[in-house]
Amino acid sequence: MTIAMIPMPIAARVAPTLAVEGLSIDYGPVQAVRNVSLAIAPGEAYGLIGESGSGKSTVAYAVMGYLNSGRVSGGRVVLNGADVFAMGERGLEAVRGSVVSMVFQDPMNALNPSIRVGEQIAEGIRRHAGLDRRAARKRTLELIGLVNLPDPEAITLRYPHQLSGGQLQRIVIAMALALEPKLLVLDEPTTGLDVTTEAVILDLIADIKARSNVALLFISHNLGVVARMCDRVGVLYAGTLVEEGRTDDLLQRPHHPYTRGLIDAMPSVTAAREMVGIPGRLPDLAQVPDGCIFQDRCVLATADCRHGVIPMETIGPGHSSRCLRWRSCATELAPARPAVPRASLAGMAPRLEVADLTRDFPGAPLFPFFRSRPVVQALRGVSLDVREGETVAIVGESGSGKSTFGRLVAGLDRPGGGRILFDGRDISALARARGRDDQRDVQFVFQNPHSALNPHHSVEAIIGRPLRLYLGLRGRALRERVLEILTAVRLGERYLTRAPRELSGGEKQRVCIARAFAANPKLVICDEPTSALDISVQAAILQELRRLQRESENQTSYLFITHDLGVVRQIADRVAVMYLGEIVEFGETADIFTAPQHPYTEALLAAVPEIGRAEQANRRDMRLEGPLPKPTNPPTGCGFHTRCPRVLGPLCETMPPKQSKAEGHWLKCHIPIAQLRRLQESG
Amino acid sequence: MIELIIRRTGLLVLVLLAVSFMTFMIVNVLPGDVTAVVLGDTASPQQAALLRERLGLNEPVLGRYIGWLADMLRGNFGVSLLYNVPIAPMLAGRLLNSTILAVLALAVAIPVAMGLGVFAAMHRGSTADRVITAMTAVTFSVPEFVKGLALILIFGIWLQILPGSSLLAPGQSPFSDPAILVLPVAVVAISMLPYFVQITRAGMIDAFASDYVRTAILKGMPRHVVALKHALRNGILPAVAVIGMTLGNALGGLVVVETVFSYSGIGQLMVSAINARDIPIIQSTVMIVAATYAVGNLLADVVSIALNPRLRP
Repeated sequence: MTIAMIPMPIAARVAPTLAVEGLSIDYGPVQAVRNVSLAIAPGEAYGLIGESGSGKSTVAYAVMGYLNSGRVSGGRVVLNGADVFAMGERGLEAVRGSVVSMVFQDPMNALNPSIRVGEQIAEGIRRHAGLDRRAARKRTLELIGLVNLPDPEAITLRYPHQLSGGQLQRIVIAMALALEPKLLVLDEPTTGLDVTTEAVILDLIADIKARSNVALLFISHNLGVVARMCDRVGVLYAGTLVEEGRTDDLLQRPHHPYTRGLIDAMPSVTAAREMVGIPGRLPDLAQVPDGCIFQDRCVLATADCRHGVIPMETIGPGHSSRCLRWRSCATELAPARPAVPRASLAGMAPRLEVADLTRDFPGAPLFPFFRSRPVVQALRGVSLDVREGETVAIVGESGSGKSTFGRLVAGLDRPGGGRILFDGRDISALARARGRDDQRDVQFVFQNPHSALNPHHSVEAIIGRPLRLYLGLRGRALRERVLEILTAVRLGERYLTRAPRELSGGEKQRVCIARAFAANPKLVICDEPTSALDISVQAAILQELRRLQRESENQTSYLFITHDLGVVRQIADRVAVMYLGEIVEFGETADIFTAPQHPYTEALLAAVPEIGRAEQANRRDMRLEGPLPKPTNPPTGCGFHTRCPRVLGPLCETMPPKQSKAEGHWLKCHIPIAQLRRLQESG
Repeated sequence: MIELIIRRTGLLVLVLLAVSFMTFMIVNVLPGDVTAVVLGDTASPQQAALLRERLGLNEPVLGRYIGWLADMLRGNFGVSLLYNVPIAPMLAGRLLNSTILAVLALAVAIPVAMGLGVFAAMHRGSTADRVITAMTAVTFSVPEFVKGLALILIFGIWLQILPGSSLLAPGQSPFSDPAILVLPVAVVAISMLPYFVQITRAGMIDAFASDYVRTAILKGMPRHVVALKHALRNGILPAVAVIGMTLGNALGGLVVVETVFSYSGIGQLMVSAINARDIPIIQSTVMIVAATYAVGNLLADVVSIALNPRLRP
């Protein structure tokens, strides 16, 4: 790995571009960031990892002197030799954009919707460099070329809504690089993007880093992204920096139980592992506990950890940990175990059989009496089966039609054509038109637990509803069953009377799962059930889902919709890969994750950043360039041929044949399996 | 853009057709016999029948509607039953007077409201913001005629610096005595203000809280550029839509003010026509008000689209 080659003591020899010294920031009574120190040398990339509530964004914005409603209660930020908090408004205006600039999390909202993107880049250049309009425009065109956008002239005239997420993020990067800043702050720069887009943006950032001396502060919750991009890493938990070290050192040999927990909770695409979440929740930062900030969730904590100030101890060259028991991390914490292989379900009866499912969304006119917009072909003939007790994952990027498919099976929407058979009965109708039993048997867990629960109902009422409706339970029997289910999702009796707003994200999703499981369903559709949750919570929820499935009396099946290939690897028995409303590959999980695959599956896997993954797995030749074709006008023949890195030529504009490499595995591609194998194994 | 305007104009014609049909029908099924209004209670049935014949009231309704519509398109709005004179010239004068009142009121209200709204949003939570919000709440809740009478009381009767009545001789232009315009314009403008101010303030507060304003700040843009270039353009969009709708309602909304000040505008004409059951005038004035409403909305949409690139196809 090239990252490991960068010598560490750079920071000691050169004045750091950024030095954060004992920084503490409060929001009212909440001590969001406490005594954080870090330094970044010129040309160095520093990753700040943390989950929600860790204070990582607060640190990122404080570096730019932007505190919003926060208050600095201690420490300082020294940027390029100058104290940021002593600059005053004029001074900050002068350094923002020129000495330090930022790449934001959500490019769609970060750009002004009413101003052409070219002007949004150029105005900063004119302001700081004092260039006239023509010179600023020339520099803008240069920058747009630098971030690899085609036809810069035309791009400058676009408004943000006319560009895709990946294109917008390039514009934001161009804007940030405009004045060759000393420090670039990247706040979750790829979090809202599809994995193939993320890979291209990360390539771009890596290239910029390689050819300039800019220092990077890279904020992320994704360990894989940080592992790929950063030289050094700091781990932030509840406002405290708990561990810091060289990236490979820290991620391979973590010496803080929290870092270790995060790494173990990260679903991997390379192997199925027994995933372990971190139990408990963040401490209340309005009353910061004495002693170690992580004590309540730590399995190694002893009495010593519960009082006093825990120091940052150096445990190796450039590696330090804020843990009294760091020596025990390697010895006492059990290594992640490989997952127990699940018994084959090949002989089980089919529970759900879907044949040639289609769904079009006619474009509604913008105004009444106006010409309709073109028809969106969301599903273009999808066939799939799910067996008893099986988990079938549908994986795809945004716009693949995976959520539409889930909604059709759940009866939230009506199919345009095709059939949905459940236990042999046709259920191609809306949920309200289905029989009582079919309604009970098919349940749904939604993506966003924060909006999936009625805020005015108690947990008891939410879980009790399906029991009253489908099983006719009342009184004591109802209460007992509610309690039983609540215990099954590891929430106790004290949760009965709580309202959703009193629950954390993970607890809310447990309630959603409890509701889905209350009336013993036979099929549960999970639409991205963990994508709104932190990684440590995600691992626990996924485990819960697996355990509930194992213990269910009905051999409950899952239709698991997700964009996260790591999650798929951990939870699915079989996987369907969707692209532009079609399944391009379907088979056993292990078969999908080993070569040869459909070129799209291959590209997806090549795009996933992961800890400890060999650099060659990060193959740039498998990047997907070009825009996703419009779902109103999908390409003829193989839908993927416009972006396929292995495209053959005109042949791909005809319908590809179904080929199979193993029993019950098929993929749609013109390239013969044997040749795909040769291509993919040679790398 | 051009295509959009053409399409919207087509739509506007359809809307006006529907309105004209409804106006014609509703007025024709109103209680009260037209002939009784024109001839008085003492008229004999023979006289009434003769008048019905002359007015064409015995023809089929649909035929009368088409005839009325065709006449109107040629600029012939019929003859007033009460005054027995052609309506069109009378209508033109009244329309001009009302337009003067509405335009002046908007010209005062829009810049004042935008200024107050933007200022309140920029100084959110300050004393000035609270005073502005309180004032808008008070003026919003007081009915228009009360505001009108209060101003007449203060400026017309106590201070005696402005005329309390805005009576015009037939054919007299309101500009011949600009003082009579002050109070009516003030009342209309004050009535429009609260809504404009609050919508502008809310829009600007949203804009200031947005990610793109944060981007502009972190790009090192000075405060006034952030406010006037980045926030304002998006923050006033909701206000533009509301002002557009008010624009449509500007003439129809003058009824109360024109009556209070005896200002001879179209609203006052409509009220007196309704009292007298002067059907041709009722129909014509309703059509005029509906037409300005539709045109006003069209203008508002065009301005919105010009300001908001996301609405463009």
